[in-house]
Amino acid sequence: MLTCQGISENATAYMEGALPQMKRLRVWTHLRICPACRRYLRQLRLVIGLTRHATHEPPPDTIEERLMLAFRQKRGGGTE
Amino acid sequence: MSRADLALAQRLKAGDAEAFRGLVRAQHNRMIRIAAALTQSAATAEEVVQDAWLVVIQRVDGYEGRAPLSAWIAGIVINKARDRAQRDGKIISFDAMAETEVEGPALAPERFAPDGHWADGMPAWETLTPERLVGDRQLLQKVLAALDSLPPAQRLAVLLRDVEGLEAVEVCRQLGVSDGNLRVLLHRARNRLREAADEELRIK
Repeated sequence: MLTCQGISENATAYMEGALPQMKRLRVWTHLRICPACRRYLRQLRLVIGLTRHATHEPPPDTIEERLMLAFRQKRGGGTE
Repeated sequence: MSRADLALAQRLKAGDAEAFRGLVRAQHNRMIRIAAALTQSAATAEEVVQDAWLVVIQRVDGYEGRAPLSAWIAGIVINKARDRAQRDGKIISFDAMAETEVEGPALAPERFAPDGHWADGMPAWETLTPERLVGDRQLLQKVLAALDSLPPAQRLAVLLRDVEGLEAVEVCRQLGVSDGNLRVLLHRARNRLREAADEELRIK
C-alpha cells in the first residue's frame, strides 16, 4: 500500500510519466481515494503554472533600446 | 514544430524590429534567470545574455523550428554561459551540482504522521482565479523569490523544464544530466516552490 509519504516521493516521477506501469497504477489508485494527495499534486501543478506566468517581466528600457539598435544594425530595413 | 515560432522567425529574418522587440520583452528576463544560475554575478549574467542576443540576431536564419524558439534561445544562453565559465577558468558540471543539492529527503519527515499520512492534512488553497494568478503581486514575488533562491541546478531544472517547457530529454541534453538526476532536482525544486505559494494561499 502506498502511503501519502510514498506518493510525495513519487510525485515528480509520476507527473513526468516516468514510473513503471505497476507503480503508476498504485499512485493512481491512491490518488483516487486520497483528497489530500490530490490537493498536493494539484498544488504542484498550479505553482509550476505560476512560474510560467510570472517570468515575463520586460527588461529596462536602456537594455531594450541597445538590443533594438543591434538588431537594426544587423537586420536593417525590414517592415518599419 | 511550432508554426507561431516559425512565423516569428520569418519576421525576424525579414528585419521586423517590432517583432524583435516583442521577443526581447518576452524572453530577456527568462534568459537572465538562466544565466544567473550559471554565473557568479549579476553583471556577468547580463553580459552573457547580451552575447546570447547577438547570437540570436545573427543566427535566426538557421532556426528551423524543430525546437520552440524559446528552447533554442535557452540553449544559446547556456552555451554562452559555459563559454564564459571556461574563460573564467571554471567548469560547470550539473551532475556535480546536482549531487550536492540533493542531500536529505525532499520533504522533512515531520511532514508525515507515523502512519504515512500528511501530518497537516494538506490544507486546501484559496481558489486561484486567473486574475489572482497573474494579479497578486505578493504571491508572484514570493514564488519568484523562492525560485531565485533555489540552488543553481534545481533552479535550472525548473527554468528549463517548467518555465520554458522544454521536454525532459532536451533538458537532460542541455544540462548533461541523467533523467533520474533531473527528476530529483525537479522534485526538490517544485516542492520548495509549492511551500512558498502555500504560505500565501493556504486557507487558514
